[in-house]
Amino acid sequence: MKLAVFLSDWRRTEDSLERLKADKMGIILVENGVYHAVVKEGGKESPVLAKAGATFYALADDVETRGFTAANVSSKVKLVSYGDIADLIMNDYEKTAWL
Amino acid sequence: MAELTLGVFPSLVGSMSLDFAFKLAEAAMAKGHKVNMWLSGNAVMMAKKGQKAFKDYSHLEKKMKELIAKGMEITVCEACAEARGYHKEDVPEGMKRASMDWYLAKTVKTDRLLHIGGE
Repeated sequence: MKLAVFLSDWRRTEDSLERLKADKMGIILVENGVYHAVVKEGGKESPVLAKAGATFYALADDVETRGFTAANVSSKVKLVSYGDIADLIMNDYEKTAWL
Repeated sequence: MAELTLGVFPSLVGSMSLDFAFKLAEAAMAKGHKVNMWLSGNAVMMAKKGQKAFKDYSHLEKKMKELIAKGMEITVCEACAEARGYHKEDVPEGMKRASMDWYLAKTVKTDRLLHIGGE
């Protein structure tokens, strides 16, 4: 299964993520979930970005709305537009989950 | 063209998820996809006509009407609406109310489903 997981909040969701298994997984950070792409605590990136085998995306509009730029975003994360997310859902992944 | 169904539960005021859902719907429609939206839980209140557009609150009525005119199907959970005092006569033009069966049928038939949970 190809699964796209949406994270919309800045909270500890690693437990849920750890339990999710898929042949291919994309983690799409939206709304306050984009903080996982830019914030480091104690010099460490969000544990969300440690999900093995996943591809990470963050909605550029939501990153910019919160005062961040591409320079602030982890190199693991690709910035995407709403149109890109539509393509990911329709072309790249079969199922979605919203955490 | 494929079909995307969005099930949306968060409220308009106090959540960003309805804004996200409508922007995603607009982007998917711009790419030629058919989009359906199911409003349930607190999300039903965004579809009640006669709401005032406060400057600092999200107000999606205009966007909603634009997307309906372009073919988006928006259906409100009638039980959730009635529970909130939102009656049949309060439904804006172009929208409809239905039971959960409508959403269930869409989830089976649609090409892609994104279920956005509520508060």
